[in-house]
Amino acid sequence: MFKKVLIANRGEIALRINRACHELGITTVAIFSEADRQSLHVRHADEAFCVGPGPVIRSYLNIPNIISAALISGCDAIHPGYGFLAENARFAEIAADHGLTFIGPKPSVINAMGDKATAKRLMEQAGVPITPGSGIVADVDEARRVCEQIGYPVLLKATAGGGGKGMRAVSSVEELPTAYATAQAEAEASFKDGRMYVEKLIVNPRHIEVQVLADEHGGVVHLGERDCSVQKPSHQKLIEEAPAPELDAAIRDRLHEIATTATRAVGYTNAGTLEFLVAGDAVYFMEMNTRIQVEHPVSELIYGVDLVKEQIRIAAGEPLGFSQDDLHPHGHAIEVRVNAEDPHNNFAPAAGTLTVVVFPGGPGIRVDTHVYGGAVVPPFYDSMLAKIIAVGRTRESAILRMERALGETRIEGVKTTVEFCAELLRDEEFRRGGIGVGWLPAYLARKTAAVS
Amino acid sequence: MATRIRALAGALARSGFARLRVRDGETEIELRRAARSAAPSSYVVAPAEEPAERAAERRADVVASDVVGIVRLLRPPVAEGQDLDGDRDLAFVETLGIRNPVRSRGSGRVCSVFVSDGQPVEYGQPLFAIER
Repeated sequence: MFKKVLIANRGEIALRINRACHELGITTVAIFSEADRQSLHVRHADEAFCVGPGPVIRSYLNIPNIISAALISGCDAIHPGYGFLAENARFAEIAADHGLTFIGPKPSVINAMGDKATAKRLMEQAGVPITPGSGIVADVDEARRVCEQIGYPVLLKATAGGGGKGMRAVSSVEELPTAYATAQAEAEASFKDGRMYVEKLIVNPRHIEVQVLADEHGGVVHLGERDCSVQKPSHQKLIEEAPAPELDAAIRDRLHEIATTATRAVGYTNAGTLEFLVAGDAVYFMEMNTRIQVEHPVSELIYGVDLVKEQIRIAAGEPLGFSQDDLHPHGHAIEVRVNAEDPHNNFAPAAGTLTVVVFPGGPGIRVDTHVYGGAVVPPFYDSMLAKIIAVGRTRESAILRMERALGETRIEGVKTTVEFCAELLRDEEFRRGGIGVGWLPAYLARKTAAVS
Repeated sequence: MATRIRALAGALARSGFARLRVRDGETEIELRRAARSAAPSSYVVAPAEEPAERAAERRADVVASDVVGIVRLLRPPVAEGQDLDGDRDLAFVETLGIRNPVRSRGSGRVCSVFVSDGQPVEYGQPLFAIER
Protein backbone atom coordinates (compact mmCIF):
# COMPACT_ATOMS: atom_id res chain seq x y z
CA MET A 1 0.00 0.00 0.00
CA PHE A 2 1.07 3.58 -0.64
CA LYS A 3 2.62 5.60 2.17
CA LYS A 4 1.98 9.07 0.82
CA VAL A 5 -0.44 10.30 -1.84
CA LEU A 6 -0.62 13.68 -3.56
CA ILE A 7 -4.19 14.81 -4.22
CA ALA A 8 -4.12 16.74 -7.50
CA ASN A 9 -7.45 18.47 -7.05
CA ARG A 10 -9.44 20.94 -4.98
CA GLY A 11 -12.91 21.26 -3.49
CA GLU A 12 -15.06 18.48 -2.12
CA ILE A 13 -13.37 15.71 -4.10
CA ALA A 14 -9.96 16.64 -2.66
CA LEU A 15 -11.49 16.24 0.82
CA ARG A 16 -13.19 13.00 -0.20
CA ILE A 17 -9.84 11.54 -1.33
CA ASN A 18 -8.10 12.89 1.76
CA ARG A 19 -10.62 11.05 3.95
CA ALA A 20 -10.16 7.79 2.07
CA CYS A 21 -6.36 8.09 2.38
CA HIS A 22 -6.46 8.82 6.08
CA GLU A 23 -8.76 5.86 6.71
CA LEU A 24 -6.22 3.69 4.88
CA GLY A 25 -3.38 5.12 7.00
CA ILE A 26 -1.89 7.06 4.06
CA THR A 27 -0.26 10.47 4.54
CA THR A 28 -1.67 13.14 2.22
CA VAL A 29 -0.25 16.09 0.31
CA ALA A 30 -2.66 18.74 -0.97
CA ILE A 31 -2.02 21.20 -3.77
CA PHE A 32 -3.73 24.55 -3.93
CA SER A 33 -3.87 27.78 -5.90
CA GLU A 34 -3.41 31.16 -4.26
CA ALA A 35 -7.20 31.58 -4.43
CA ASP A 36 -7.71 28.39 -2.38
CA ARG A 37 -5.24 29.05 0.43
CA GLN A 38 -8.08 29.04 2.99
CA SER A 39 -9.88 26.03 1.51
CA LEU A 40 -10.69 23.07 3.74
CA HIS A 41 -8.80 20.60 1.58
CA VAL A 42 -5.58 22.44 2.42
CA ARG A 43 -6.27 22.26 6.15
CA HIS A 44 -7.26 18.60 6.20
CA ALA A 45 -4.18 17.37 4.32
CA ASP A 46 -0.98 16.51 6.17
CA GLU A 47 1.08 18.75 3.88
CA ALA A 48 0.19 21.31 1.22
CA PHE A 49 1.92 23.03 -1.68
CA CYS A 50 0.85 26.18 -3.45
CA VAL A 51 1.26 25.35 -7.16
CA GLY A 52 0.19 28.58 -8.83
CA PRO A 53 -2.18 31.53 -9.01
CA GLY A 54 -5.98 31.26 -9.27
CA PRO A 55 -6.48 30.50 -12.98
CA VAL A 56 -6.51 26.71 -13.43
CA ILE A 57 -4.12 26.68 -16.35
CA ARG A 58 -1.38 27.99 -14.05
CA SER A 59 -2.27 25.97 -10.94
CA TYR A 60 -4.47 22.85 -11.03
CA LEU A 61 -3.37 22.11 -14.61
CA ASN A 62 0.28 23.01 -13.98
CA ILE A 63 1.79 19.56 -14.52
CA PRO A 64 5.46 20.44 -13.75
CA ASN A 65 4.59 22.11 -10.45
CA ILE A 66 2.23 19.32 -9.41
CA ILE A 67 4.68 16.51 -10.22
CA SER A 68 7.45 18.51 -8.56
CA ALA A 69 5.36 18.87 -5.38
CA ALA A 70 4.78 15.09 -5.35
CA LEU A 71 8.49 14.35 -5.76
CA ILE A 72 9.69 16.93 -3.22
CA SER A 73 7.27 15.65 -0.60
CA GLY A 74 8.18 12.02 -1.25
CA CYS A 75 4.81 10.78 -2.52
CA ASP A 76 4.48 7.39 -4.15
CA ALA A 77 1.15 8.02 -5.88
CA ILE A 78 -1.13 10.75 -7.24
CA HIS A 79 -4.93 10.75 -7.07
CA PRO A 80 -6.31 13.09 -9.73
CA GLY A 81 -9.97 13.22 -8.56
CA TYR A 82 -12.34 14.35 -11.34
CA GLY A 83 -11.93 17.19 -13.85
CA PHE A 84 -8.56 18.98 -14.16
CA LEU A 85 -5.94 16.28 -14.96
CA ALA A 86 -8.08 13.23 -14.14
CA GLU A 87 -8.41 12.11 -17.75
CA ASN A 88 -5.13 13.47 -19.05
CA ALA A 89 -3.08 10.49 -20.26
CA ARG A 90 0.01 12.64 -20.67
CA PHE A 91 -0.15 13.56 -16.99
CA ALA A 92 -0.48 9.88 -16.06
CA GLU A 93 2.56 9.10 -18.24
CA ILE A 94 4.65 11.90 -16.77
CA ALA A 95 3.74 10.72 -13.27
CA ALA A 96 4.83 7.16 -14.17
CA ASP A 97 8.08 8.48 -15.70
CA HIS A 98 8.86 10.01 -12.32
CA GLY A 99 8.10 6.83 -10.41
CA LEU A 100 4.68 7.98 -9.22
CA THR A 101 1.65 5.70 -9.47
CA PHE A 102 -1.30 7.40 -11.14
CA ILE A 103 -4.47 6.28 -9.34
CA GLY A 104 -6.56 5.46 -12.38
CA PRO A 105 -6.42 3.32 -15.49
CA LYS A 106 -3.39 2.93 -17.75
CA PRO A 107 -2.52 5.97 -19.92
CA SER A 108 -3.26 4.01 -23.12
CA VAL A 109 -6.78 3.25 -21.87
CA ILE A 110 -7.35 6.85 -20.73
CA ASN A 111 -6.30 7.96 -24.20
CA ALA A 112 -8.54 5.49 -25.97
CA MET A 113 -11.60 6.25 -23.82
CA GLY A 114 -10.87 9.98 -23.48
CA ASP A 115 -10.88 10.28 -27.22
CA LYS A 116 -14.63 9.82 -27.54
CA ALA A 117 -14.50 8.92 -31.23
CA THR A 118 -11.91 6.17 -30.61
CA ALA A 119 -13.90 4.96 -27.61
CA LYS A 120 -17.00 4.50 -29.72
CA ARG A 121 -15.06 2.55 -32.34
CA LEU A 122 -13.53 0.24 -29.70
CA MET A 123 -16.89 -0.30 -28.02
CA GLU A 124 -18.53 -1.08 -31.34
CA GLN A 125 -15.84 -3.74 -31.90
CA ALA A 126 -16.64 -5.17 -28.46
CA GLY A 127 -20.26 -5.54 -29.51
CA VAL A 128 -21.57 -2.55 -27.54
CA PRO A 129 -24.48 -0.68 -29.19
CA ILE A 130 -23.57 2.89 -30.13
CA THR A 131 -25.39 5.91 -31.57
CA PRO A 132 -24.97 6.53 -35.31
CA GLY A 133 -22.30 9.15 -35.92
CA SER A 134 -18.92 10.10 -37.30
CA GLY A 135 -15.26 9.87 -36.43
CA ILE A 136 -13.31 13.09 -35.93
CA VAL A 137 -14.41 15.66 -38.51
CA ALA A 138 -11.74 17.89 -40.05
CA ASP A 139 -13.84 21.04 -40.20
CA VAL A 140 -17.35 22.44 -40.30
CA ASP A 141 -17.74 21.43 -43.94
CA GLU A 142 -17.11 17.78 -43.17
CA ALA A 143 -19.43 18.09 -40.16
CA ARG A 144 -22.13 19.42 -42.52
CA ARG A 145 -21.75 16.41 -44.85
CA VAL A 146 -21.97 13.95 -41.93
CA CYS A 147 -25.05 15.71 -40.54
CA GLU A 148 -26.80 15.39 -43.88
CA GLN A 149 -26.07 11.66 -43.90
CA ILE A 150 -27.32 10.85 -40.39
CA GLY A 151 -30.03 13.52 -40.38
CA TYR A 152 -30.81 16.30 -37.92
CA PRO A 153 -31.07 16.72 -34.98
CA VAL A 154 -27.42 15.97 -34.17
CA LEU A 155 -25.06 16.48 -31.29
CA LEU A 156 -21.69 18.13 -31.89
CA LYS A 157 -19.22 16.80 -29.38
CA ALA A 158 -15.62 17.55 -28.48
CA THR A 159 -13.66 14.32 -28.47
CA ALA A 160 -11.87 15.48 -25.32
CA GLY A 161 -15.11 16.75 -23.80
CA GLY A 162 -16.93 16.11 -20.57
CA GLY A 163 -19.33 17.76 -18.15
CA GLY A 164 -21.34 19.22 -21.03
CA LYS A 165 -18.43 21.37 -22.19
CA GLY A 166 -17.68 21.42 -25.91
CA MET A 167 -21.09 19.93 -26.75
CA ARG A 168 -23.97 21.47 -28.73
CA ALA A 169 -27.28 20.18 -30.02
CA VAL A 170 -27.95 21.26 -33.58
CA SER A 171 -31.42 20.95 -35.10
CA SER A 172 -30.77 22.38 -38.57
CA VAL A 173 -27.99 23.15 -41.02
CA GLU A 174 -28.44 26.91 -40.37
CA GLU A 175 -27.40 26.49 -36.73
CA LEU A 176 -24.35 24.39 -37.55
CA PRO A 177 -21.60 26.98 -38.24
CA THR A 178 -22.17 28.95 -35.00
CA ALA A 179 -22.67 25.82 -32.88
CA TYR A 180 -19.52 24.26 -34.33
CA ALA A 181 -17.43 27.38 -33.69
CA THR A 182 -18.63 27.88 -30.09
CA ALA A 183 -18.38 24.20 -29.11
CA GLN A 184 -14.89 23.98 -30.59
CA ALA A 185 -13.74 27.19 -28.87
CA GLU A 186 -15.12 25.86 -25.57
CA ALA A 187 -13.24 22.58 -26.05
CA GLU A 188 -10.03 24.42 -26.92
CA ALA A 189 -10.36 26.55 -23.80
CA SER A 190 -11.34 23.71 -21.45
CA PHE A 191 -9.34 20.75 -22.75
CA LYS A 192 -6.73 22.26 -25.10
CA ASP A 193 -8.18 19.96 -27.76
CA GLY A 194 -10.69 21.26 -30.29
CA ARG A 195 -11.26 18.06 -32.28
CA MET A 196 -14.97 17.46 -32.86
CA TYR A 197 -17.25 14.61 -33.89
CA VAL A 198 -20.92 14.32 -34.69
CA GLU A 199 -23.56 11.90 -33.52
CA LYS A 200 -27.27 11.41 -33.97
CA LEU A 201 -29.25 13.18 -31.26
CA ILE A 202 -31.57 10.71 -29.55
CA VAL A 203 -34.55 12.80 -28.50
CA ASN A 204 -35.22 12.90 -24.76
CA PRO A 205 -33.39 9.70 -23.75
CA ARG A 206 -32.64 8.79 -20.16
CA HIS A 207 -29.02 9.18 -19.08
CA ILE A 208 -28.17 6.00 -17.22
CA GLU A 209 -24.61 5.09 -16.33
CA VAL A 210 -23.02 1.99 -14.85
CA GLN A 211 -20.25 2.08 -12.24
CA VAL A 212 -17.50 -0.50 -12.68
CA LEU A 213 -14.43 -1.52 -10.70
CA ALA A 214 -11.65 -3.56 -12.26
CA ASP A 215 -8.47 -4.73 -10.56
CA GLU A 216 -5.13 -5.54 -12.21
CA HIS A 217 -5.71 -9.30 -11.86
CA GLY A 218 -8.71 -9.64 -14.15
CA GLY A 219 -11.37 -8.98 -11.51
CA VAL A 220 -14.27 -6.91 -12.86
CA VAL A 221 -17.50 -6.00 -11.07
CA HIS A 222 -20.25 -3.47 -11.59
CA LEU A 223 -21.91 -1.48 -8.83
CA GLY A 224 -25.20 -1.03 -10.57
CA GLU A 225 -26.49 1.96 -12.43
CA ARG A 226 -27.13 5.62 -11.68
CA ASP A 227 -29.86 7.69 -13.29
CA CYS A 228 -28.50 11.16 -14.12
CA SER A 229 -31.33 12.37 -16.34
CA VAL A 230 -31.94 15.61 -14.43
CA GLN A 231 -29.61 17.77 -16.48
CA LYS A 232 -29.43 21.50 -17.01
CA PRO A 233 -29.78 22.80 -20.59
CA SER A 234 -25.94 22.80 -20.58
CA HIS A 235 -26.12 18.99 -20.04
CA GLN A 236 -24.58 19.31 -16.59
CA LYS A 237 -26.08 16.94 -14.07
CA LEU A 238 -28.04 18.38 -11.17
CA ILE A 239 -29.79 15.48 -9.42
CA GLU A 240 -28.65 11.84 -9.58
CA GLU A 241 -30.03 8.66 -8.09
CA ALA A 242 -29.40 4.97 -7.77
CA PRO A 243 -30.88 2.63 -8.74
CA ALA A 244 -32.56 4.06 -11.86
CA PRO A 245 -36.32 4.25 -11.11
CA GLU A 246 -38.94 2.70 -13.37
CA LEU A 247 -36.39 0.79 -15.40
CA ASP A 248 -37.31 -2.52 -16.95
CA ALA A 249 -35.39 -5.34 -15.22
CA ALA A 250 -34.23 -6.77 -18.56
CA ILE A 251 -32.76 -3.42 -19.63
CA ARG A 252 -31.09 -3.01 -16.25
CA ASP A 253 -29.45 -6.44 -16.54
CA ARG A 254 -28.44 -5.70 -20.11
CA LEU A 255 -26.73 -2.44 -19.10
CA HIS A 256 -24.79 -4.20 -16.33
CA GLU A 257 -23.81 -6.98 -18.70
CA ILE A 258 -22.65 -4.60 -21.46
CA ALA A 259 -20.68 -2.53 -18.93
CA THR A 260 -18.68 -5.43 -17.51
CA THR A 261 -18.11 -6.97 -20.95
CA ALA A 262 -16.86 -3.66 -22.34
CA THR A 263 -14.65 -3.06 -19.28
CA ARG A 264 -12.96 -6.41 -19.89
CA ALA A 265 -12.74 -5.85 -23.64
CA VAL A 266 -10.78 -2.60 -23.36
CA GLY A 267 -8.48 -3.91 -20.61
CA TYR A 268 -9.79 -1.35 -18.16
CA THR A 269 -8.48 -1.10 -14.62
CA ASN A 270 -9.55 0.99 -11.60
CA ALA A 271 -12.94 2.74 -11.19
CA GLY A 272 -14.81 3.78 -14.30
CA THR A 273 -18.25 4.68 -15.53
CA LEU A 274 -19.97 3.75 -18.76
CA GLU A 275 -22.61 6.26 -19.78
CA PHE A 276 -25.60 5.10 -21.78
CA LEU A 277 -28.57 6.71 -23.41
CA VAL A 278 -31.73 4.68 -22.88
CA ALA A 279 -34.72 5.33 -25.13
CA GLY A 280 -37.53 2.81 -24.77
CA ASP A 281 -35.93 -0.60 -25.21
CA ALA A 282 -32.94 0.84 -27.07
CA VAL A 283 -29.62 1.26 -25.28
CA TYR A 284 -26.72 3.27 -26.74
CA PHE A 285 -23.20 3.55 -25.34
CA MET A 286 -22.26 7.21 -25.04
CA GLU A 287 -18.86 7.35 -23.37
CA MET A 288 -16.68 5.87 -20.67
CA ASN A 289 -15.40 8.14 -17.94
CA THR A 290 -12.02 6.94 -16.71
CA ARG A 291 -12.23 8.62 -13.31
CA ILE A 292 -14.20 8.78 -10.10
CA GLN A 293 -17.38 10.74 -10.78
CA VAL A 294 -19.08 13.52 -8.88
CA GLU A 295 -22.16 11.35 -8.27
CA HIS A 296 -20.27 8.28 -7.01
CA PRO A 297 -21.74 8.55 -3.47
CA VAL A 298 -25.20 7.33 -4.54
CA SER A 299 -23.65 4.02 -5.60
CA GLU A 300 -21.51 3.87 -2.46
CA LEU A 301 -24.53 4.31 -0.22
CA ILE A 302 -26.61 1.52 -1.72
CA TYR A 303 -23.73 -0.94 -2.22
CA GLY A 304 -21.79 -0.18 0.96
CA VAL A 305 -18.52 0.07 -0.97
CA ASP A 306 -16.04 2.95 -0.62
CA LEU A 307 -15.17 3.59 -4.26
CA VAL A 308 -12.26 5.94 -3.58
CA LYS A 309 -10.61 3.45 -1.22
CA GLU A 310 -11.11 0.75 -3.84
CA GLN A 311 -9.43 3.01 -6.42
CA ILE A 312 -6.40 3.35 -4.15
CA ARG A 313 -6.26 -0.38 -3.34
CA ILE A 314 -6.52 -1.31 -7.01
CA ALA A 315 -3.76 1.15 -7.99
CA ALA A 316 -1.59 -0.36 -5.25
CA GLY A 317 -1.98 -3.72 -7.01
CA GLU A 318 -4.42 -5.34 -4.59
CA PRO A 319 -7.10 -7.66 -5.96
CA LEU A 320 -10.76 -6.73 -5.40
CA GLY A 321 -11.86 -8.03 -2.02
CA PHE A 322 -15.26 -9.12 -3.36
CA SER A 323 -16.92 -10.65 -6.41
CA GLN A 324 -20.16 -9.74 -8.17
CA ASP A 325 -22.05 -12.27 -6.04
CA ASP A 326 -21.02 -10.37 -2.90
CA LEU A 327 -22.53 -7.13 -4.15
CA HIS A 328 -26.20 -6.42 -3.45
CA PRO A 329 -27.79 -2.98 -3.52
CA HIS A 330 -29.91 -1.93 -0.55
CA GLY A 331 -32.45 0.87 -0.75
CA HIS A 332 -32.34 4.01 -2.83
CA ALA A 333 -29.99 6.99 -2.81
CA ILE A 334 -30.40 10.44 -4.31
CA GLU A 335 -27.90 13.27 -4.69
CA VAL A 336 -28.52 16.99 -5.10
CA ARG A 337 -25.74 19.25 -6.30
CA VAL A 338 -25.57 22.49 -4.38
CA ASN A 339 -24.05 24.93 -6.85
CA ALA A 340 -23.24 28.61 -6.43
CA GLU A 341 -25.39 29.61 -9.36
CA ASP A 342 -28.69 31.28 -10.12
CA PRO A 343 -31.26 28.75 -11.38
CA HIS A 344 -33.51 31.62 -12.44
CA ASN A 345 -30.84 33.18 -14.63
CA ASN A 346 -29.57 30.32 -16.82
CA PHE A 347 -27.61 28.92 -13.87
CA ALA A 348 -25.17 31.83 -14.06
CA PRO A 349 -22.30 31.02 -11.69
CA ALA A 350 -21.80 33.27 -8.69
CA ALA A 351 -18.66 34.08 -6.75
CA GLY A 352 -18.37 35.76 -3.38
CA THR A 353 -18.20 35.16 0.34
CA LEU A 354 -20.52 32.65 1.99
CA THR A 355 -21.88 34.54 4.97
CA VAL A 356 -24.02 31.73 6.38
CA VAL A 357 -23.48 28.01 5.81
CA VAL A 358 -25.64 25.42 7.55
CA PHE A 359 -25.70 21.89 6.19
CA PRO A 360 -28.25 19.20 7.05
CA GLY A 361 -27.64 16.09 9.11
CA GLY A 362 -29.55 13.31 10.76
CA PRO A 363 -30.35 9.78 9.62
CA GLY A 364 -29.56 8.85 6.05
CA ILE A 365 -27.91 12.14 5.09
CA ARG A 366 -24.36 12.57 3.80
CA VAL A 367 -22.84 15.93 2.88
CA ASP A 368 -19.64 16.14 0.84
CA THR A 369 -18.41 19.72 0.82
CA HIS A 370 -15.36 21.94 1.12
CA VAL A 371 -17.12 25.16 2.15
CA TYR A 372 -17.92 26.70 5.52
CA GLY A 373 -19.32 29.97 6.90
CA GLY A 374 -17.00 32.77 5.81
CA ALA A 375 -15.47 30.76 2.95
CA VAL A 376 -14.81 32.63 -0.26
CA VAL A 377 -16.03 31.16 -3.57
CA PRO A 378 -13.36 32.13 -6.11
CA PRO A 379 -14.44 32.94 -9.66
CA PHE A 380 -11.96 30.54 -11.27
CA TYR A 381 -13.51 27.15 -10.61
CA ASP A 382 -16.51 24.89 -10.88
CA SER A 383 -19.50 26.34 -9.05
CA MET A 384 -20.28 23.23 -6.99
CA LEU A 385 -20.30 23.97 -3.26
CA ALA A 386 -21.58 20.68 -1.91
CA LYS A 387 -23.32 17.42 -2.63
CA ILE A 388 -26.16 16.42 -0.37
CA ILE A 389 -26.94 12.72 -0.53
CA ALA A 390 -29.98 11.04 1.03
CA VAL A 391 -30.47 7.32 1.35
CA GLY A 392 -33.69 5.49 2.26
CA ARG A 393 -35.22 2.04 2.01
CA THR A 394 -37.33 3.17 -0.94
CA ARG A 395 -37.13 5.95 -3.54
CA GLU A 396 -40.06 7.66 -1.85
CA SER A 397 -38.35 7.67 1.56
CA ALA A 398 -35.07 8.91 0.04
CA ILE A 399 -36.89 11.80 -1.65
CA LEU A 400 -38.77 12.73 1.53
CA ARG A 401 -35.51 12.61 3.43
CA MET A 402 -33.86 14.84 0.83
CA GLU A 403 -36.71 17.35 1.06
CA ARG A 404 -36.25 17.44 4.80
CA ALA A 405 -32.47 17.88 4.38
CA LEU A 406 -32.79 20.69 1.83
CA GLY A 407 -35.17 22.41 4.24
CA GLU A 408 -32.43 22.36 6.88
CA THR A 409 -29.84 23.75 4.49
CA ARG A 410 -29.03 27.47 4.64
CA ILE A 411 -26.43 29.09 2.44
CA GLU A 412 -26.26 32.85 2.21
CA GLY A 413 -23.92 35.18 0.35
CA VAL A 414 -24.37 33.65 -3.10
CA LYS A 415 -27.38 32.28 -4.97
CA THR A 416 -27.59 28.48 -4.89
CA THR A 417 -29.55 25.61 -6.40
CA VAL A 418 -30.93 24.43 -3.01
CA GLU A 419 -34.49 25.75 -3.22
CA PHE A 420 -34.74 25.08 -6.93
CA CYS A 421 -33.81 21.42 -6.40
CA ALA A 422 -36.37 21.16 -3.59
CA GLU A 423 -38.96 22.44 -6.07
CA LEU A 424 -37.90 19.83 -8.65
CA LEU A 425 -38.26 17.04 -6.07
CA ARG A 426 -41.92 18.06 -5.56
CA ASP A 427 -42.70 17.81 -9.28
CA GLU A 428 -45.19 15.09 -10.14
CA GLU A 429 -43.33 13.82 -13.20
CA PHE A 430 -40.09 13.59 -11.26
CA ARG A 431 -41.91 11.74 -8.47
CA ARG A 432 -43.26 9.21 -10.94
CA GLY A 433 -39.70 8.53 -12.11
CA GLY A 434 -38.26 7.59 -15.48
CA ILE A 435 -37.94 11.13 -16.89
CA GLY A 436 -35.59 11.88 -19.80
CA VAL A 437 -32.80 14.43 -20.16
CA GLY A 438 -35.24 16.81 -21.85
CA TRP A 439 -37.36 17.03 -18.71
CA LEU A 440 -35.49 19.82 -16.90
CA PRO A 441 -35.01 22.05 -19.99
CA ALA A 442 -38.75 21.67 -20.71
CA TYR A 443 -39.58 22.42 -17.07
CA LEU A 444 -37.49 25.62 -17.27
CA ALA A 445 -39.10 26.62 -20.56
CA ARG A 446 -42.58 26.18 -19.03
CA LYS A 447 -41.59 28.35 -16.07
CA THR A 448 -40.22 31.08 -18.31
CA ALA A 449 -43.41 30.99 -20.41
CA ALA A 450 -45.58 31.18 -17.28
CA VAL A 451 -43.68 34.27 -16.07
CA SER A 452 -44.02 36.14 -19.37
CA MET B 1 16.92 42.05 11.30
CA ALA B 2 17.04 39.76 8.28
CA THR B 3 16.11 36.78 10.45
CA ARG B 4 13.09 38.62 11.82
CA ILE B 5 11.94 39.72 8.37
CA ARG B 6 12.36 36.17 7.13
CA ALA B 7 10.22 34.83 9.97
CA LEU B 8 7.58 37.51 9.44
CA ALA B 9 7.50 37.02 5.66
CA GLY B 10 6.97 33.32 6.25
CA ALA B 11 4.20 34.01 8.76
CA LEU B 12 2.49 36.40 6.33
CA ALA B 13 2.80 33.94 3.45
CA ARG B 14 1.14 31.24 5.56
CA SER B 15 -1.56 33.54 6.93
CA GLY B 16 -4.62 34.83 5.16
CA PHE B 17 -3.72 38.42 6.01
CA ALA B 18 -2.86 41.03 3.41
CA ARG B 19 -0.67 43.14 5.70
CA LEU B 20 1.45 42.62 8.78
CA ARG B 21 2.93 45.43 10.89
CA VAL B 22 5.21 44.88 13.86
CA ARG B 23 6.53 47.67 16.07
CA ASP B 24 9.30 46.91 18.50
CA GLY B 25 11.07 49.83 20.20
CA GLU B 26 12.66 51.93 17.49
CA THR B 27 11.92 49.60 14.65
CA GLU B 28 8.72 49.17 12.72
CA ILE B 29 8.39 46.49 10.08
CA GLU B 30 5.49 46.38 7.70
CA LEU B 31 4.97 43.59 5.18
CA ARG B 32 2.33 43.79 2.49
CA ARG B 33 0.99 41.05 0.32
CA ALA B 34 0.70 42.07 -3.33
CA ALA B 35 -2.86 41.96 -4.65
CA ARG B 36 -2.33 38.90 -6.86
CA SER B 37 0.45 37.15 -4.97
CA ALA B 38 0.54 34.95 -1.90
CA ALA B 39 3.92 36.29 -0.88
CA PRO B 40 4.59 39.78 0.31
CA SER B 41 5.97 41.41 -2.83
CA SER B 42 7.32 44.44 -1.10
CA TYR B 43 7.90 45.73 2.35
CA VAL B 44 9.26 48.80 4.00
CA VAL B 45 11.96 48.66 6.60
CA ALA B 46 12.37 51.84 8.59
CA PRO B 47 12.99 53.02 12.13
CA ALA B 48 9.70 54.22 13.63
CA GLU B 49 10.74 57.86 13.67
CA GLU B 50 11.99 57.93 10.08
CA PRO B 51 10.05 60.25 7.76
CA ALA B 52 7.72 58.55 5.33
CA GLU B 53 9.60 59.81 2.23
CA ARG B 54 12.82 58.28 3.38
CA ALA B 55 11.07 55.01 4.21
CA ALA B 56 9.70 54.92 0.70
CA GLU B 57 13.20 55.42 -0.66
CA ARG B 58 14.29 52.30 1.14
CA ARG B 59 11.62 50.12 -0.43
CA ALA B 60 12.53 46.48 -0.88
CA ASP B 61 11.15 44.00 -3.40
CA VAL B 62 10.58 40.35 -2.59
CA VAL B 63 11.62 37.96 -5.30
CA ALA B 64 9.36 34.92 -5.03
CA SER B 65 9.50 31.50 -6.67
CA ASP B 66 7.15 31.08 -9.61
CA VAL B 67 7.57 27.29 -9.65
CA VAL B 68 7.49 24.40 -7.19
CA GLY B 69 10.96 22.96 -6.85
CA ILE B 70 14.29 22.77 -5.08
CA VAL B 71 16.41 25.88 -4.55
CA ARG B 72 19.91 25.76 -6.06
CA LEU B 73 21.99 28.71 -4.86
CA LEU B 74 24.81 30.02 -7.04
CA ARG B 75 28.42 29.26 -6.25
CA PRO B 76 29.36 31.38 -4.43
CA PRO B 77 25.80 32.10 -3.27
CA VAL B 78 24.29 35.57 -3.33
CA ALA B 79 24.74 36.97 0.18
CA GLU B 80 22.88 39.46 2.30
CA GLY B 81 24.37 42.91 1.87
CA GLN B 82 25.61 42.16 -1.65
CA ASP B 83 25.16 44.87 -4.27
CA LEU B 84 23.59 43.81 -7.56
CA ASP B 85 24.41 45.54 -10.77
CA GLY B 86 21.47 45.26 -13.19
CA ASP B 87 19.26 42.24 -13.83
CA ARG B 88 21.18 39.14 -12.85
CA ASP B 89 20.74 35.55 -11.68
CA LEU B 90 20.20 35.13 -7.95
CA ALA B 91 19.65 31.36 -7.86
CA PHE B 92 17.84 28.57 -9.67
CA VAL B 93 14.76 26.62 -8.71
CA GLU B 94 14.99 23.12 -10.08
CA THR B 95 11.71 21.56 -11.25
CA LEU B 96 11.76 18.07 -12.79
CA GLY B 97 15.42 18.50 -13.75
CA ILE B 98 14.93 21.92 -15.31
CA ARG B 99 16.82 24.82 -13.74
CA ASN B 100 14.52 27.84 -13.69
CA PRO B 101 16.58 31.01 -13.16
CA VAL B 102 15.55 33.45 -10.45
CA ARG B 103 16.42 36.97 -11.63
CA SER B 104 16.93 40.15 -9.62
CA ARG B 105 14.91 42.19 -12.15
CA GLY B 106 17.16 45.21 -11.71
CA SER B 107 19.88 46.63 -9.50
CA GLY B 108 19.79 46.85 -5.73
CA ARG B 109 21.19 45.47 -2.55
CA VAL B 110 20.24 42.02 -1.26
CA CYS B 111 18.77 42.65 2.19
CA SER B 112 17.46 39.14 2.86
CA VAL B 113 18.03 35.61 1.65
CA PHE B 114 15.04 33.58 2.83
CA VAL B 115 16.11 30.16 1.56
CA SER B 116 19.04 27.79 1.75
CA ASP B 117 20.55 25.54 -0.91
CA GLY B 118 18.52 22.39 -1.51
CA GLN B 119 15.40 23.74 0.17
CA PRO B 120 12.02 22.81 -1.36
CA VAL B 121 9.88 25.83 -2.22
CA GLU B 122 6.30 26.29 -3.36
CA TYR B 123 4.80 28.75 -5.82
CA GLY B 124 4.94 32.29 -4.46
CA GLN B 125 7.40 31.51 -1.69
CA PRO B 126 9.76 34.44 -0.90
CA LEU B 127 13.37 33.72 -1.93
CA PHE B 128 15.17 37.08 -1.69
CA ALA B 129 14.45 40.66 -0.67
CA ILE B 130 16.21 43.37 -2.64
CA GLU B 131 16.47 46.96 -1.52
CA ARG B 132 16.11 49.19 -4.57
